[in-house]
Amino acid sequence: MATDLQLPVFTNNSENELAGRWGMVIDQDICTGCQACVAACAMENNIPFVGEADAGYGRTMHWIRIERFWQGTFPEVKMTPYQPVLCQQCHKAPCEPVCPVFASVHSVSEDINLQVYNRCVGTRYCANNCPYQVRVFNWRDYTDARQRPELVTLQNQLNPDVTVRRRGVMEKCTFCIQRIRHVEDTAQSEGRDVRDGEVVPACAQACPADAIVFGRVDDPTSKVSKAAITSRGSHMLEELGTLPRVTYLAGGSAQ
Amino acid sequence: MSQQISRRDFLKLAGVGAATTAVLTGCGPASRYVTRAPYIKMPEYTYNGLSTFYATTCRECSAGCGLVIRTMQGRAIKVEGNPDHPVNLGKTCARGQATLHGLYNPDRITDPIQRVARGSEGGTKMDWDAAIGIVADALSKNKPDEIAFLVGMAPDHLFDLVADLAKTIGAPAPVRYGALGMFEARTTLVKAAEETFGQTGLPFFDIGGADLVISFGANFLETWLSPVAQTREFSKMRRGQKNKRGYLVQFESRMSQTGAKADEWIPITPGTEAMVALAIGRLIVEARGLALPPAFANVDVNGVVEASGVTLDALNRVAGLFSLYDRPLVIPGGGALGLSNGLQTAEAALALNALAGNFGKDGGVFISPTNPLADQYHRPASGREMQDFIQRMVDGKIKVLFVHGVNPLFELPKKLGFGGATKYVPQIISFATFPDETAMEADYVFPDHHGLESWGYQKIATGSASSVLSGAQPVIVPFFNTKSTVDVLLAAAQKAGGALASAFPFKDEVEFMDSKLASLLNVDGFFSAPEINTFAAYFQQYGGWWKTTDNRIAPSSADVLNRSFKADAAQFDGQGDFFFVPFVSPILGEAGANKPWLQEVPDPTTTIMWNTWVEINPATADKLGIEDNDVVRVVSDYGEVEVSVYKYPAIRPDTIAMPFGQGHTAYGQFAQGRGANPADLFGPSVNEAGDLAFGSLKVRIEKTNKKRQLSRLEGVLGVYGFDSK
Repeated sequence: MATDLQLPVFTNNSENELAGRWGMVIDQDICTGCQACVAACAMENNIPFVGEADAGYGRTMHWIRIERFWQGTFPEVKMTPYQPVLCQQCHKAPCEPVCPVFASVHSVSEDINLQVYNRCVGTRYCANNCPYQVRVFNWRDYTDARQRPELVTLQNQLNPDVTVRRRGVMEKCTFCIQRIRHVEDTAQSEGRDVRDGEVVPACAQACPADAIVFGRVDDPTSKVSKAAITSRGSHMLEELGTLPRVTYLAGGSAQ
Repeated sequence: MSQQISRRDFLKLAGVGAATTAVLTGCGPASRYVTRAPYIKMPEYTYNGLSTFYATTCRECSAGCGLVIRTMQGRAIKVEGNPDHPVNLGKTCARGQATLHGLYNPDRITDPIQRVARGSEGGTKMDWDAAIGIVADALSKNKPDEIAFLVGMAPDHLFDLVADLAKTIGAPAPVRYGALGMFEARTTLVKAAEETFGQTGLPFFDIGGADLVISFGANFLETWLSPVAQTREFSKMRRGQKNKRGYLVQFESRMSQTGAKADEWIPITPGTEAMVALAIGRLIVEARGLALPPAFANVDVNGVVEASGVTLDALNRVAGLFSLYDRPLVIPGGGALGLSNGLQTAEAALALNALAGNFGKDGGVFISPTNPLADQYHRPASGREMQDFIQRMVDGKIKVLFVHGVNPLFELPKKLGFGGATKYVPQIISFATFPDETAMEADYVFPDHHGLESWGYQKIATGSASSVLSGAQPVIVPFFNTKSTVDVLLAAAQKAGGALASAFPFKDEVEFMDSKLASLLNVDGFFSAPEINTFAAYFQQYGGWWKTTDNRIAPSSADVLNRSFKADAAQFDGQGDFFFVPFVSPILGEAGANKPWLQEVPDPTTTIMWNTWVEINPATADKLGIEDNDVVRVVSDYGEVEVSVYKYPAIRPDTIAMPFGQGHTAYGQFAQGRGANPADLFGPSVNEAGDLAFGSLKVRIEKTNKKRQLSRLEGVLGVYGFDSK
């Protein structure tokens, strides 16, 4: 009898797969751009700070950032509604097929994009191919306390559930997979299904405006599915056909 | 701490298993003395991968949000909001999240030290007994009126102890101060409420219940009063109502983060907020065809249009909104109050609220609940009171100065002269956790624990409809050789002997807190307990005690509209071409600069990280031949700073703005020598309430022909030439 290695299998998009699994709704009308999600994400996921110079060169490691653009000139000037941008966990992710070492792969069970740190060799093809610019690269050993003595005490804060990444590795938002797994394990050991709203990623947990809703998009009764049903909803760059799992609700005066 | 019991023994005793996701803080009196050491030898009740959660209170500002800290193997891992806590309902801000970078900050003061000379690095390490002896001597060997306490806006249990202590020995009451309090203009708000309602207390603006919010400079989504609670309420206002979307109008001269969320952002000449508010009132009354009440009778609408730069159309449109919406709310705050006519602005805004008839109603104005310990709201000192304090220092009336939880050398404008006044004070004892500017100038530094290693409580000033006493407890064992300042003072009182010893017979901080909490026994609330040990255990477990009723006080509105209000144009010091708008960095606040992750969190409006900038309208900059990243010298009558330019599209051409939060000369490796401090430009003038009129400045800009790159998150072309600091 052949051994089933349970390798990830790439298949065509069946209707079932298109329904997705985990998803997020972000309401730009109430996002106040306060950056609580950015800080919470960094604290939860052991994201290193890079310092002023590297930050200026665009090497910040934020897994979530808040975008805003200016429209018009004074006095008719407006800021576009704040838009938190994180990995959209595309169902057809452009980052995946370009990875020569299968470090950027799709999780069949959770339907999210994975980054396998110990496979990654740092070609950065995935970041180049990501239309959302949400992948960040460890240009230096930002987490090594031997090279950065200021980390000797600070590293006490590191979350043991999340791997610390080293130089030459690409990383990105995981939808707080460690929290998803934790809840799934708890539910399994208690012999029940995961309840709606039980999994809360760090960004959604911190958000003072409750602008971020997370949950199962394949369950039409979940809070996230209901929140997505509105004329304000859209996907970022949806014309690319990447099937993102994050729905943005337009800000401004739209109803 | 006599009755030590290890966490392991306690849990065996109580028969509680491993905590998974619940808040577990121990349920009996014994647990108040649990040692939370890092688990080098792991107790058998912990499992790899499972965390223990402790409820406590955030100390990054004085709003007092409830936190639940996730700890693992004796280390604090993650800050989460306390879902039960009435102020923040499980939410946090960026500063709250980064509090762990304060806890594990590499630059913390690790031991009690005596400085070789003021201003010198380091010092001679002492042991705590000697330190306590020095505090005891300072308390007992000086004349009582020569002892001064300067404390921050948190924590309140320390303030209570110091207030009691000062009373017992006959010393002047402790002075509270914080830069946030200054920028929020709390004194002005309190004074306006007093004059308008005849009631004391901090006004409470029910943003969540309103459907139209008109804000005059109130940065309520950033640092003002209780930002997490206000952000939640804003969200409720905008999207939480059935079939109606809340509407926000912001009057200010520079678009703040709050202004960016406004449906209408109306740029206004600084200092004309009061007259604009009254003009809107007049237009509303006229549109409704009512008799003009004295409140709005004196205002000349056309004159206001000319002075404020707001068109008549815009004023009429905003006035019209009052009829379109059911529950309008007008909020005065922030920069608009820190002007020479700030009190008039606050009162004019309250008059508009009176016209809207919203006093004491949903979506209206209230007085914030009295705190559960039922004493009055201890507002931070105003600019005028701080000037008096500094004068006392200069006059040699202060022989020993105790400083805790505030960094006056950085947080007070340089012009007020705190720095120069320290040399008249023979002994300065600082309890700073970090080597801030004031701790550098102290003779002794007896470091307090970090907030997450501390016991305590905070009386919630505003942000919650119910009366809240927020509780704090240590979530880890102290990381360094620090000691709770309350314990130091209690031990010093014992050592001093006499009346002092008998007035404070407490063994330690916990006993002192219990003596204060005793007044809450058998009182109806979120929980109620008949005796102190049970109460204290619940207090610890839930992160505080609060009432479950609405305790906001409705202001009496009888006569507001029949008063006559003044609306003078603001006075500005200096001959410069530009109005100057200083604002608190929404990310750093007053004390965030030493936390590396906060430094790397981009500013919400400019996306700048790790530094200070000055915002100039692009058209103005072009006219002056100034580009992004050009270093300019901003000069006021009182000082000057050099800072890089950010061309900011949403600021009046006659106005420039700078964030407060950087420009430290000490405060650890991440803060020191970074950026500039706009407070160096401030003058000593105050408004009618005594708050510092920090915005009443006209400044000029000088080119320096230097360039210094600003790190920004937003895309920039050609990013080269950074230096590391």
